[in-house]
Amino acid sequence: MANGLEAVEPLEGIVAGTSLGANAWRRLRRNRLAMVGLVVLGIIVLASLAGPPIIAHTTGYTYDSIPSDPALIRAMPPFTGPDGRFAWTHPMGTDNAGRDILARVLLGGRISLLVGITSTLVSLIIGTAFGATAGYLGGRVDEAMMRVVDVLYALPYMMIVIVLLAFFGNQSPFGQLILLFIALGSVSWLTMARIVRGQVMSLKSRDFVQAARATGVRPVRIVLRHLVPNALGPVIVYATLTVPSVMLLEAFLSFLGLGVQAPLASWGSLASDGIQNIAIFPWQLLCPGLTMAVTLFSLNFIGDGLRDALDPQARKS
Amino acid sequence: MLRFIVRRLLVTVPMVLVVVSLTWGLIRLAPGNFYTGEKAIPPAIEQNLRQKYGLDRPWYVQYGRMIGNTLHGDFGSSLKYPSTSVNSILANAVPVSATIGTLAYLLALLVGIPSGAIAALRQNSTADYASMTVAMLGISIPNFVLGPLLVLVFSLTWFWLPPARWNGFSLNLILPVLTLSAIYMAYIARLTRSGLLEVLRSNYIRTARAKGLSDREILVRHALRGGLLPVLSFSGPALVFIITDAVVVERIFALPGVGNYFINACLNRDEPLIIGIVAFTAIAVLLFNLVVDVAYAFVDPRVRY
Amino acid sequence: MTTRHRRATPFAAIVRHAAACGALALSLSACTTSLSHSEYFGKVDPPPGQTLRYVSGSEPESLDPQITTGQPEARILLALFDGLTEYDPKTGEPIPALATHWEANEDNSVFVFHLRPARWSNGRPLTAEDFVYTIRRGLSPELAARAAYLAYYIQYAQGYNEGGVFARDSRSGAFVMDPANPALRLVLPGDPAARDKALAAPALAAARGKTFVPVRAEDVGVDALDAATVRIRLTQPVPFLVALVANQFFRPVPREAIERWGDQWTRPGHMVTSGAFVLRDWRPYDRIVVTRSPTYWDAATVKLDSITFFPVEDATTIMNLYKAGDVDAFLNRTVPAAWVDRLRGFKDYRDGPEAGNEYYQINTTRPPMNDVRVRKALNAAIDKGALAGYLHMATAETSFVPAGIFPGYPVVPGDPFDPAKARALLAAAGYRNAAGAYDPSTFPVGKVELSYNTLELHRHVAEFVQAQWKQNLGITIPLKNMEWKTFLDSRARLDYNGIARSGWIADYLDPFTFLNVFATPTGDNGTGWWDPAYVALLNRANRQSDPAARDALLAEAEATLLAAQPVIPLFTTNTNWMKKPYVKGMYDNPLSMYAWKFAFIEHDPSRW
Repeated sequence: MANGLEAVEPLEGIVAGTSLGANAWRRLRRNRLAMVGLVVLGIIVLASLAGPPIIAHTTGYTYDSIPSDPALIRAMPPFTGPDGRFAWTHPMGTDNAGRDILARVLLGGRISLLVGITSTLVSLIIGTAFGATAGYLGGRVDEAMMRVVDVLYALPYMMIVIVLLAFFGNQSPFGQLILLFIALGSVSWLTMARIVRGQVMSLKSRDFVQAARATGVRPVRIVLRHLVPNALGPVIVYATLTVPSVMLLEAFLSFLGLGVQAPLASWGSLASDGIQNIAIFPWQLLCPGLTMAVTLFSLNFIGDGLRDALDPQARKS
Repeated sequence: MLRFIVRRLLVTVPMVLVVVSLTWGLIRLAPGNFYTGEKAIPPAIEQNLRQKYGLDRPWYVQYGRMIGNTLHGDFGSSLKYPSTSVNSILANAVPVSATIGTLAYLLALLVGIPSGAIAALRQNSTADYASMTVAMLGISIPNFVLGPLLVLVFSLTWFWLPPARWNGFSLNLILPVLTLSAIYMAYIARLTRSGLLEVLRSNYIRTARAKGLSDREILVRHALRGGLLPVLSFSGPALVFIITDAVVVERIFALPGVGNYFINACLNRDEPLIIGIVAFTAIAVLLFNLVVDVAYAFVDPRVRY
Repeated sequence: MTTRHRRATPFAAIVRHAAACGALALSLSACTTSLSHSEYFGKVDPPPGQTLRYVSGSEPESLDPQITTGQPEARILLALFDGLTEYDPKTGEPIPALATHWEANEDNSVFVFHLRPARWSNGRPLTAEDFVYTIRRGLSPELAARAAYLAYYIQYAQGYNEGGVFARDSRSGAFVMDPANPALRLVLPGDPAARDKALAAPALAAARGKTFVPVRAEDVGVDALDAATVRIRLTQPVPFLVALVANQFFRPVPREAIERWGDQWTRPGHMVTSGAFVLRDWRPYDRIVVTRSPTYWDAATVKLDSITFFPVEDATTIMNLYKAGDVDAFLNRTVPAAWVDRLRGFKDYRDGPEAGNEYYQINTTRPPMNDVRVRKALNAAIDKGALAGYLHMATAETSFVPAGIFPGYPVVPGDPFDPAKARALLAAAGYRNAAGAYDPSTFPVGKVELSYNTLELHRHVAEFVQAQWKQNLGITIPLKNMEWKTFLDSRARLDYNGIARSGWIADYLDPFTFLNVFATPTGDNGTGWWDPAYVALLNRANRQSDPAARDALLAEAEATLLAAQPVIPLFTTNTNWMKKPYVKGMYDNPLSMYAWKFAFIEHDPSRW
């Protein structure tokens, strides 16, 4: 298809690239939506870091404090005091145990953001490296590498986690977190690898790659400088899609006993608690749910901005 | 190409054996047994149970039996449901999951590809932002939230659709299929958009445009093929998991699908059932990925094996 | 709903307004449709005719009454199989079923049951031989029934089930008798190594060098005196046997179907039943349909033509099906805690007391929990009343045996909520500063954790208890949730630090089912605490023929248990279920067991 038209494929991908980072940042700064996303994400990160101590200091509520007065152990709507009047104490209301949802959402944000972003970066690095290698080398190597991916797809993930916990479950909270990253990272790169491989297989026969090859550029350099940047669009999009799926996977793993322990809660587990009571206490779902949605939107805008900024085809602009 | 396909099909058998062997090892390593429950059972009864199910035999005998069963395609009787064979469970559950999964994926493709394409063609227009915002909503609202919300509105407030349960091809399918497809729809829309953007910027499309071809012609004749590569890569595993791993939707809508069986089998340490479902999943993964790899070559002739 | 919060703040009002009338319309309150009566939850349209649709919980493992152990299965089996006795629909106490009457000997160790004329669903008469066959089958090692231990009270039942042997003198042919119970033959382990070890005990010297003959099915103490009379001989006094034989394990199973179909006899078309219904259809994870049995002895009482059991696990899904009117009733312990407050207002909500408890068990073998003062302090620092209030569907409990379930059994009060005393106990146990006052920082929280299996209810309880200890003792015990089987494994091996969640549901309606948990050091006990004096009290109690004297001794045993505090009793769960107003003949009872023959659909709204 349209092979003849490709003869004039530009070579600027090879020439430019020394100041890729600086160029990209310049272009990213010009993208208004991406900047808004960056600011919002920054606010959420800051709030989840600084918020809980501030709340504890001003209102005395922490994420796990169940009131000692039995009359207060109940769900209260946002900005409502125990008497039903307006009050500043619980801007997001309380859960069924009378705990402050804002404090819980902010603390959950620490977990979900850490888990979501770290695991996505891990899957980005492993998946891209694995997929690009398989796609570029092709043949037997590709065959073998992709069958490894297939086996990992088919293994019962739940059993892996159960066994992982049985052998390494007795860990400090920090050790538990590392275990969680291992469990999340071990699966999330698989589809990423397949996508990168597909892109690389298609790109490697293009003229600019052939040209690079003909001029004696080393394979590692071809992959890193030419193939990966050109495959970056779908990769970044898929990475932004990985963040929510990892956040939800975390909630599932906590069901198996992996990850953070109650009374700590991540956004995923707060939302799954909240959905039960959607008909009677809607704020229990809406508050963590909206926070999570805003975060994901910001990440997505940043991802789109990054994609455009790193796009080798658009580098001239 | 034919040699490639034959080779891949031949590889399937050893691959499935590798997968079930690893799974078997995992089941061995996991704590607990199919018969443990809230009420403890006396050691003598435990001994009786182990004898009855051959768990007292040496490991290589048990392993050999499992491999033999797998090769014969008969996984024996479930441990948790002793009067039910794994094959009959699969025969009942796979059609349910396949129906819902296939419908959901078709819906996802039908909605996702056009909206992704429109967004790419009119990049940074209102249509682009609108469809991508909806896609992001699909991703940000987890299915365990979306399902109950749909039920609340359509089944419990307006009483239009049944809230749950399997009833063959009927109205019961609408809500689970919608719930299941939402996230895939969103993935496909976003992957289509980014794949197309990549292609639309390449020189041959610019040339085609210069020749005065309409958007529609460019899209259908040139761009869509290369631009759908990411969607294609994604579809192999996605189709497998929309069928075998739709646990949340199956639980919300009380559907007798594979995913629910599988989760319970893992929690119950029901070895034959786990092995059976894993073998099924492995075959599906290998076949679907083979189909995807073959499709690469058709969609994009530059891909060679 | 606005009546409850009349002085609502603007923002809260907006949220609530949006919720009430937006797409997320409140399903529980104001926006009810014309289809629903406001006093009932959701649609109230009786199904046509006499068919009942009941959500029975998780998919039944099997429909073989002797293989299954769970409550969801038991409830379905109640429709298919009759026992010697049946559970009273209102109280759960045993009432005559296949047996019209019975008598026991002086010390409750031999029971004779008199059968009524009854037929299987294939028309064959049901006789005493069916009971003999059933109990022998249930105990056979080849069947490997998990509930076989329920029948261990029957003579030589345990020996047969465990593959044990009698010791017989090869010359005289006389059996060596059991030194602990001279009326019975001695049963030794079948495994030679284990047997030699047992024979090393001086008391068993008489059995050495004898011929060992296996205990056979025919040796089990169940026999048919004639076609209509069953005699059960027991190894010890069992005053609760009449309640015990209502359990599904003792309900007769059809020999001809089992011998013909093997383990496939429970399939529709193969199954022959003795109960009010026959199995029509069984689609796993979908539905089980039973229809009225024409041969049932009490067919005149049966009003329902069919019952459909839906195996649904997810609580919200069950509530949705119920609200939409797709099912007529659902199983106990289902309504989510947060909903209970709202649902109490509806007439179709039910929450009677249940013969089941939730408690924390303590690993008494590891410090600091090996000190009874620490255990007592942790117990006294929990405000169980507040916990029950928070859970909405529980009754606070300081005793181990649920109060108010067993008529005549006294309530044995445990230590009350007393934070000051709890702190004093911990100080006395050595957790104090130089001045002698209690100092939380000296308590080794790192050595203790509170583990529970993943379930929302268990998490809520654990979070609450953790907060109580934090408030009242100033210590933060870490929580640890575990996957079910992993948790069971660590609990059974006493491989947990500190505290693990536990619960017990009565096997039969007698306080002994609860106290028996701690009668052996292993098995369900799981605490490391075991006291021969406690066991002696239980044995003495069961030898009493006077119920009041027996109850007093059982209560004394319970007091011993609570004094040692290897467990922290928390609460009794409530039945916590719903049935539509047109479903009649189903009542709250402590076992949540419904003899389905009494249930029916009332189409006349004036009688709801």
